[in-house]
Order: sequence, then structure tokens, then C-alpha cells
Amino acid sequence: MADDSYAREEEGFEEEELDETSFRSVKDAVLFAIDVSSSMLKPRPSADPKKPGEESPASAALKCAYHLMQQRIISNPHDMIGVLLYGTQSSKFYDEDGESADLSYPHCYLFTDLDIPSAQQVKELRSLAEDEAVARDILKPSDERVSMANVLFCANQIFTSKAPNFLSRRLFIVSDDDNPHGDNKSLRSAATVRARDLYDLGVTIELFPISRPDHEFDTSKFYDDIIYKTSPSDGEAPAYLQPDTNTSTAQGDGISLLNSLLSSINSRSVPRRSLFSNVPLELGPNFKISVNGYLLLKRQEPARSCYVWLGGETPQIAKGVTTQMADDTAQAVEKSEIRKAYKFGGEQISFTTEEQQALRNFGDPVIRIIGFKPLSALPIWANVKHPSFIYPSEEDYIGSTRVFSALHQKLLKDEKMALVWFIPRKNSTPTLSAMIAGGEKIDENGVQKVPPGMWIIPLPYADDVRQNPESTMNVAPEPLIDTMRAVIQQLQLPKAVYDPTKYPNPSLQWHYRILQALALDEDHPGTPDDKTKPRYRQIDKRAGDYVLAWSEELDAQSAKMFGGTAATKSTLVKRGPKENPENADNARDPPAKRMKVEGGASDLDDEVKRNFEKGTVSKLTMPILKEFLTSHGRSPVGKKADLVDRVEQYFEQKS
Amino acid sequence: MADKEATVYIVDVARSMGSTAMAAPSRTSNGQCSRKTATVGVVALRSDDTSNELQEDSNFSNISVLANLGQVLMPDIRRFRDLIKPSQTNRGDAISSIVVAIQMISKYCKKLKYKREIVLVTNGNGLMPTDGIDEIKSKLQDDGIKLTILGADFDDADYGVKEEDKDPRKAENELVLRDLAEGSPNGAYGTLEQAVAELEIPRIKVTKSMPSYKGFLQLGDASKYETAFRIPVERYFRTYVAKPPSASSFVLRSGAAPGQEEGDLAQSQVPGEGNTLTSVRTSRTYQITDESALGGKVDVERDDLAKGYEYGRTAVHISQEDENVTTLETFAGLELIGFIINDQTLEANLPVQYSRYLHMSNTNFIIPQKANDKAALALSSFIRALHELDYYAVARLVTKETRPPMIVLLAPCIEKEDDEVYESLIEVQLPFAEDVRSYRFPPLDKVVTVSGKIVTEHRNLPSDSLQEAMSNYVDSMELDLKDDDNNPIDGLPIEESYSPLLHRLESAVRWRAVHPNDPVLEPAERLTRFAHPDEDIVKKSQSYLDALKSAADVKKVPPKTKGRKRQRETEKPLSGLDVDALLNLEPKRARISPENAVPEFKQMLSRAESVETIHDAVKQMAVIIEAQVKHSLGDANYERVVESLGTMREELVDYEEPALYNDLVRQLKEKILNEELGGDRLELWWLVRKSKLGLIDQNVSERSEVSEEEAKEVSLNPIWSVAKNS
Repeated sequence: MADDSYAREEEGFEEEELDETSFRSVKDAVLFAIDVSSSMLKPRPSADPKKPGEESPASAALKCAYHLMQQRIISNPHDMIGVLLYGTQSSKFYDEDGESADLSYPHCYLFTDLDIPSAQQVKELRSLAEDEAVARDILKPSDERVSMANVLFCANQIFTSKAPNFLSRRLFIVSDDDNPHGDNKSLRSAATVRARDLYDLGVTIELFPISRPDHEFDTSKFYDDIIYKTSPSDGEAPAYLQPDTNTSTAQGDGISLLNSLLSSINSRSVPRRSLFSNVPLELGPNFKISVNGYLLLKRQEPARSCYVWLGGETPQIAKGVTTQMADDTAQAVEKSEIRKAYKFGGEQISFTTEEQQALRNFGDPVIRIIGFKPLSALPIWANVKHPSFIYPSEEDYIGSTRVFSALHQKLLKDEKMALVWFIPRKNSTPTLSAMIAGGEKIDENGVQKVPPGMWIIPLPYADDVRQNPESTMNVAPEPLIDTMRAVIQQLQLPKAVYDPTKYPNPSLQWHYRILQALALDEDHPGTPDDKTKPRYRQIDKRAGDYVLAWSEELDAQSAKMFGGTAATKSTLVKRGPKENPENADNARDPPAKRMKVEGGASDLDDEVKRNFEKGTVSKLTMPILKEFLTSHGRSPVGKKADLVDRVEQYFEQKS
Repeated sequence: MADKEATVYIVDVARSMGSTAMAAPSRTSNGQCSRKTATVGVVALRSDDTSNELQEDSNFSNISVLANLGQVLMPDIRRFRDLIKPSQTNRGDAISSIVVAIQMISKYCKKLKYKREIVLVTNGNGLMPTDGIDEIKSKLQDDGIKLTILGADFDDADYGVKEEDKDPRKAENELVLRDLAEGSPNGAYGTLEQAVAELEIPRIKVTKSMPSYKGFLQLGDASKYETAFRIPVERYFRTYVAKPPSASSFVLRSGAAPGQEEGDLAQSQVPGEGNTLTSVRTSRTYQITDESALGGKVDVERDDLAKGYEYGRTAVHISQEDENVTTLETFAGLELIGFIINDQTLEANLPVQYSRYLHMSNTNFIIPQKANDKAALALSSFIRALHELDYYAVARLVTKETRPPMIVLLAPCIEKEDDEVYESLIEVQLPFAEDVRSYRFPPLDKVVTVSGKIVTEHRNLPSDSLQEAMSNYVDSMELDLKDDDNNPIDGLPIEESYSPLLHRLESAVRWRAVHPNDPVLEPAERLTRFAHPDEDIVKKSQSYLDALKSAADVKKVPPKTKGRKRQRETEKPLSGLDVDALLNLEPKRARISPENAVPEFKQMLSRAESVETIHDAVKQMAVIIEAQVKHSLGDANYERVVESLGTMREELVDYEEPALYNDLVRQLKEKILNEELGGDRLELWWLVRKSKLGLIDQNVSERSEVSEEEAKEVSLNPIWSVAKNS
């Protein structure tokens, strides 16, 4: 196990997103500041009579915060989130902490302190968003107007003490009041000064404005004075030239308000982190521009299990500390003393750490173009891992963006790719990669789905390519292909493209769904919602007849090609008699032609089923049990009793 | 698993051979050293003495078996190196030595399955009686032994070797040997020069793939619908990253000082380090936070711990019987979800194409179940239909019961080689919703201003002349590659590129095994062939590159001005309001308040009109930082301190006052060393070091008087040695 985790560490090293240039820790803290005023609390009924219900802007905001909290537990388990309500009658801010008692922030209610959320906090936030009784007590607007300067400084103090030295700190303000201080000059200027403090602290303010039914939210009245273009700590990132504040003003009735707020917050749920920064893109000898790299696609895995200590009042995570020691003396050794050795000819051949490093060093980070090819030269199988995304940066070379843009447009237009020698960071292994241009993709609401830029796809080396395995080749004749083509054409996905957002990872979601239920003492969630399961009914309805035609053709062709020697079975699966009574006779008939396509599975199915009904599954032989289980996607491993159990379970689930 | 191998090397050690020619075989055998199933035997031909099974017969004199077939280990290699040197004689019969080698192989391999090979290295002179040669030929054929003959000074036009005034006997011998080699199964006949050259081409290990899924490709739910189909298929790797050899950790055995070791090696000529190294063990202990304990942490026993997961910051414990409760119930299967169109550009008149960058993993073959004609026919119709339509399939794959489902792309692949057709589906994983990160970036072909106006001419956008220059350059750099045999490569040079790390490490290990005291080598040229564009193409496109460069007008940013400028641009809010003016009106901001230190420090500097103000600001910060350290409960305030120091370092570099920062850091370190800031704070210094917040040296700021070495020295010493000893 120790070896295993070590290997993972090594791999992780290549992948981790870190900023070598900064002293800050690569973490993100998001503090929601939700305006609690009578207009924010006023429920807005649904305009759609089919979907009745009402939602107030405040509860929509809380639901979004709850949703984001849940989501970040999965996607960013080490990042912080907090919820600050402002404009409330009551105030709450670190009461138990004597040190900060002298600072008071009237009408600021710190509901969830900024931290990695605990299960308890998730539960509390959910009940605030959903439970009227709790909400009524806390969500009571004050009569007096809250000072925005105070709210901003309160947020400042929360970030300063709870998220010191974080690379990314963001304040999400949700409000329907575009001009909280009217013409009051001193309050306004106090707020702008406090906003400047936040900017200098490296906190980004992101506004989620909500328009009132009778009034469009106007950022120029107040918020343009407190919001800055980019966060200084994210200086490497190109400025998003289209300020978000202008584009997405949530409005409309309660439900659509909630939805637009959700999508707006979702799109900013993750702070942008670079995988590598200012790596030269070398177009030719002595001609470089600089680019930053990002991981836009990365497999999200469930967090690994850990050890929990149960000796105290609440379970606590035990942190593992690894020490390395010499085998002979059992004395702890320093990393620098360790030599790496390779087994060779029965002996250990060793290298010092410096030598080891020298062997891994193939030069400084670079993306070097060694030539161009048509895009069609990139075989569909030539892939080993997810790609990296690059976007120009003006940091090292002024003019990088225009050169990058010219290259991008040329590659897109002529459908070409560049072959590049790619070393993403110091001491990482070089890959020969394909660099392809990706165009910008916009969804129906005008929100960017895929950014424009280049993708670097590492190619396999000759060492990574496997030979074609031996295989039976029977090239299908045209009529058979035609029938299959008809099947395929019936079953296009919407717009004939693959849209990842439609398919949440079912096992990841289930993992956290169960953890949440356990942590919050909820009931077992029952059956999982698995969006990756094919829509069987639709497939039957749309393509059923075509499949039957294909199957007939297949039988005919195979009889012709393989004659009497071939067996007899259709690839169609025999349907059990009870699903379709009028065909029952047919099903019970011994199949007329038998052919080995499924290895006789249908026969086998009948036999196993008969035995199940008689309660004599255990009389079947091991090979039959194994074959039956395998053909139904069940594991065929184990003792006979286990296999029998599994077979019985199979039929019990079916009935 | 690779096949078992039995190879006998016959090395001609005749006086006339000279010593250079003998390096090759030991290098070759060297490569086979690590595998147990690759057995090697070594025979010396025209050696001074005679030792072989047939030595009774005088035809077999001056042939000695140095090693019978077996695994080669390091000591053997060292032994061969000593044994294989020129003898005092030119007597001995090459044909007889082949007989000896055949004998060795048949004795060792019996009738078992082996790859049999004899490699003969000779210069081909000397007496070579040809009687019985036909028997030898048929024996080689019958036993399936491959005979490779490597000739020193043999004629080879490719390598420019053509011996003038060749001894007629040698010419005749060459013919005999060539005939013999070419008569054996897959036999090869070549020159030593050729063999040495081939050694430069990295060898690729051929791995026999095992199926990673055996089941059905299915459409619809077979248990519910009559219209479902299931085709039995198997899945094999198409690509799989070959891992470089893995190393284990060792330390020098106690008592063996580093300096001593090397001396020993040189003297005793025993480079096996087995005696000087001892392996490293890892031990894991577990700690929990306990406020009442010293240092805030206590150790707990492994046995008192249960398995669990983190949900946010809450530990969720999962009892043994519930162990798989978070695992989604799944059953093996490859189920079709639907189909997508590869290239819709023509149909929809929109640039809608499958985005190749969605490939998330290595790729696999999906082929029909072995020896199932009907399945092959069924799958073929599926592959061909996809191919004709230019469609891809999207499917859900579970390789084994309870394994997490994957969404995969299935693409048709029809290869044709010498009339042999190979059909398969290429399978690759696609991303799930959670795998996509929605970072947004501005468009590259237009600029949208704050007010929403679309601009098409901008310093960030290419001019028409830049676009044209780029287009010409890209066209001039079209790859035109040749493989090792000088045949043009169409497509990408995948078969010609070798994993640089893997082969460099392997050859470094081989080199070190024989040359323990030599430094590590640079990577072989062959490995970095694609690190730079080909010289020809560079030359050809040079004029286009020059044109591109001048149209692009790219300027390198001098290191010093990075950063500073950037902040200037963004110091105003969206409205452009002058907040600095407002700040000036705030009277209390002359003193930096500890709770808002970072912003107020920055603002004080930006308003500073004299150096004194900067000095004052730094002084105030020093007091605040020291107080934070002093009052820190354990490491509670350390991150805040690092943030303050980091901010000051950045700002003072920008303001060209590195000395102020350096003084502050020196003082801080001294106070930490003297434990003046509330006890042992070495942990904090370690953090400062890790965050690279030591002295500002001349590389970072021209105005600094601190050299790089001095900066390193201050951040490391003497505190680190103190820390280690305590």
C-alpha cells in the first residue's frame, strides 16, 4: 500500500496545478454575501401555470449557495465556502472569540463561517434555504439600512483571518439593490475605500445582480465603483474583456430566477488555475511567444478513503505521517540521502539524486513546433491521456496574443495541426504532441461553453502502441451493412454531438450521495439516478423494426457464408414469455436455427431459468453458472455457493 | 509474457580480430540481461585453449564454451568482459563452433518452446572446411535455429567497406557463411558495423495483450425487449503508456561513508553495490489533532482507526460490513447510448465536428469474440455502417461487475495491408459533466470592449499582413519525414518516436552496470530526434519565418518590468473612479492597522512621496509581523505572516527597495533563531523558505547587493543545521 501511494504521488506531480511563481497556497475561498431586504424576501410566483410554486430572490440565493457547497465538496474538497447575510435585524460575528469582540458589524449575520464545510453546516444551510420556520427567525430585514462599507470590511476580516494567503478569494454578492446608498456621499465613498481594500487584499468581488420586477439592475449606479476588472493575484490570466456583470442579470419569476442564478454561479464555481504559466511557444528558431496552460478536461475521481479515529466524541480524520528509515539501522533517513537503484542482472544499479534528476532532464519547458500536418493525419487511436489547453499571455512577450491568434485562425481554417515537442514544466518528461486549434463554442443563452484556444494532445510513442490482436475477419456484404446503417440513423444523439454536461458521472455522484446521507443521518437515498443508462424504451420504439430487419439479414448472410457448419442462433435475445404473451408460443418453440454468436447463451438462459424456477440452481455445473453470469455482466469469480447466490439474485431482481 | 529465448553468442577471439570488434557482442548480450527467460550462452572461437563437449575430436579444438545457456547476471558480464580478448592463435574452425552451439541449444532447450538463435561474430579468415555443411543446414532448419552472422571487415556497400586485395580464402569463407546464415530460419548476415548501428535504434518490448473486457456490444435491454441485439466482443489495448523502469530506494549502509565507497569500487573492480547499500523502509504513523496536547497533535494506533471518507471537513466512518455502501451497483456490458456525426460541416453547413480533444484516455480495440464467425460478421456490418456514414457511437462501458461506468466513443477503423483487411472499433473514454471545467477566455478573432462594442482591429489581433505571413510560414513548414530506411512517413512519425525517458533510463542502467564510475550520459540522439525541427525544413522556411517575425513584431518583456505595469492598468474600478483621491482624504490611514495590514501597506506605498514613507511603512509592518508571530497559537498565524512577507517582497522589488526587505528578513530570522518571538518558531522559517521568501538577490532586483549564493546561504544556514540537530 505504501508503494502504491508513492507511485501515485509521482504521477500526481505531473498533473497538479500549481503556481511555482507564487508564495500563495493554491486554494480558493468563496464567501457569499446575500442581501436580506424585504424586496429580496418577497416571493415571486411562477409565471408558468404548469409549474406552480414561488421563490423569493433570497431563498433562490440560499439554494444556490447550498448547491455550490454540495458541489464543491465533490469537486474541490479542500476549498472554503462561507455565507454572510447582510441587512438582517440581528447580527452575528465570531461571538465566542473574545479577540474580535471589539469589532462589530451591525446587521451582518455570518451564517456559515468561511471554512471547508462540515456536514452540520451543509444541513444548517439547507434548512435555512428550505425550512420556513428557521428562515423566519434569521431572515428578518432590519429597519435601519446596513452600511455597505461595513459589509465589505466584515468580508475583509473574514478573508484575512480565515483564508490567509489563499491564491483565490472571492466575494459573491447577491442583491437586487443597485444603489444601496443613494446620494449619500460619505457612505458611498466609505464603501469604495473598503472595496479598494478588498482589491488590494486580492479579493475579487463578483456581483450576481437581480433585477426587480419593475426595475432593471443598473451597475453603473453603485457597483461599477467597487468592482475591479481582474483580481491582482490572478494577474497572469487574460482579462475577460466582457465584464460578466453586464451580461447576466437574473430576472423574471421565481423559478427562472433560481435557474439563471444557478447557471451564472455554476459558470464561476471554479477559480481559473493554470497548469503551467508563461511557457514559450516556439514557432521557429529564435521566434517565441508565451502561453499559459490549463486543464479544462480532467477526470474527477472520488476522494480516496482515509482513516478515521473513533476514540473521541466525534469521529476525526487521522493524518498519516510517513517516515523513511534505513533497513539495517532503523534510523530515519533524509530525502537527500536516498539513492534510487534499478534491478539489473540480479544486482542493484544505483544513481544519486542528482544523477537521477539529470537523467530526467530533457531541457527547459517549451512547446516547440517542429512542423505542420493536415488534421486528418492524426489517427483516431493516437491518444494516451487527456489534453492540455493553452491560451496566449502577454507576460513574457508582447504581441503573443496576436501571433497566437493568427496561428489559431490559420490552423482552424486550413484544418491543420502542428507537431510539437512539449515539456510543460521543469523536469517533466517530454512528449511528442499534436497541437490542434479549438474554436469557441457558445450555448443557446450566449454563454461560452468551450473557450477558443489550442489543445495539446500527447501522442503515443512507438513503445506505447500495441499490435493488432488476432481477430476473425468476416467483412460484411453490402445488404447487411445497409440494414445496420438504417438502425444507426435512427439513434442520433441530440444535434448528433456528444455533450458531456448531460452525463454526470453516476458512480461519483452516488458515492457522495451516500456519504452525505451518512454524514447528515438521512435515509438511504434509494435508487441512484444514472443518466448514462441508455433509453431502452426509446431505442426499442425508434430502431426496433430496423434491428429485426438487420437480424434477419444477418442470419441469411451467415447461413450463406458459413453454410451448415455454422450453428444457429440469432443475435436477438429471446424475450421471456411473460413480457409478450401473444408470442409466447414462439418463444417456447425450440429455436429453428442455432448459431454460435452468443456462445449458446439463450439455450443456457432457458436452462438456468428452469432450474431457478424449480429451485435447483445449485445442481448446475460451474461452467454453466460461470457462463450464465458472464453473459449477464456479473462477476463469475468465487466459490460455487457465491455463484449460485448471484444467479438467484439475478432472477429475483428481474421478477 | 514474452517468449522464452535461447541465444548462443560465438565470438571469434583470434589474434587477427583485434580487440575493437569484441565490444559489440558483450553490449548486445548486455541488453538481455534483465530477463529471466532470455537465456544466453557464450562460446569463444579460436581461443588459446579448448573446452567443449566435443573436444575429443580435433576438429573442435580451439573452441571454448565460456558460459552454458542460462540467465546472464552482472558477474557474468564482468567475467565475459575479462575473458573476451584476443588470443595468441588464429587456429580454429568457425563451422565447428556452430556445431558446438547447436549442441548447446538442443541440450538446453530439449523439445520445449524457445526462440533459438546463434550469433557468430568473426572476421571470416582461417580454415573453414565445408564438409558436412548440408547436415548443419538441415539441423538448423529442423530445430528452428536462427543463425545471425556478423562479420568484421565483411564487404558492405552501405557502410563503405570493401576490402581490396581480399584474401581469396576469406572471400570464399564469406560466401560459405552467408549461404549458411541465409539457409537458416529468418537467418541474417551482416557486418559488425551494421550491428553496431542497429544497437542505436531503441528496442521496443512487444507485449502480448490480454483482453480487458469480454462481453457483449449491445443495443437495447435484452431482458425486456425482443429488439435488442448483442454481439460478443473482446477489448484489447490499442495504446498503453510503457512505463520507464521503476527504481527502489536505498541508502548507503551505515559505516560506509560516501567518499569511501567510490574508492573501494575502483580498487577492487567489483562494482556490485549490493554490499554498500541497504534498502529503505517506510513506516506510517497516524496523528490526530488534540488541542490539549503539546504541539496540538497526538499519535494514535493504527488498530484504533476505522475506514472512512471525508465529506467536507466531516469524517464519515464506514463500518466493515457497509464497506461497499458507496459503490454504485453495476453490471458488465458495453451498451450503445446513441450516435454522433464526426463531421457535420457539409450537412449542417456549420463547423460542427467531433472535438478530438475530448479523448480522455488511452485507446482500445473492440474486436469480435475469438473464432465466432457470426459475431465477426455482425460487428463488421456495424463497423462498416459507421464508416460509411462517418458516424461514431457513444456507449456506456462497465468492464466488470461493480466497476464504475465509463462513457466511451466507438470509432470505426478499417486498415488494409497487402490485401489483408483488419476491422475494429477504436474505443476511448469521453468526459463526464464533472470532468469539464468551465474556464472562460475572450475570443481570439475579435475584441469586445467594456461597453460591449466589437472591435476587429486591436493590438491583440493579427493584422492582415501578419495573417498572411503566418499562413505562408505554416505552409512552408509542412512535415516531410523519412523513417530509418529512408522511406517517406505519411501521417505522424509515431512508429519512429521512442519514449525518451524509458530508453534513456534503460541505457543509463546498462551503461552504469559496466561502467560504474562514469558519469551519466546525454540522451542518445535518436531519442531527441523530434525535439527540434529538421534542419532541411528550417532552411527551407527561413525566409518565411523572417517575414513572419517582422510582421509579428513580438517584443520580449525585460524581466524587471513584469508585474509592475500590469497592476497600474487595473488599479481603477470599472467606473474609472479615482479611489486614490478618496483614500487621501481618510485621515486615519497614516498608521497601518494590524487587522487590515496588507491593503493599507500597499496603499501607503502607492501614495508615498518620499523614501522615508516607504521606510516607515516597512518598519510598521515589521512590528505587526513580529506581533503576529509572538501571539500565534502554534502555527495559527503563520500563513498570515507568509502573506504579509510575500506582499512586502513583491512590492519592495517593484519599488526597487530590496535592501529594506532583506534587512527585515535577516532580523526576523535572527529573532526566530534566538527564540525571541514566543519560543520555537523554526517551523515558520521552514515555511518562509518553502514559500521562497528569502533574501531578494541580484537576479530578482538589480538594486540588490545580495548574490544568489548569499541568498541561498541565508535561507539555509545555519538555521537548518540547527533544526536538524535539535
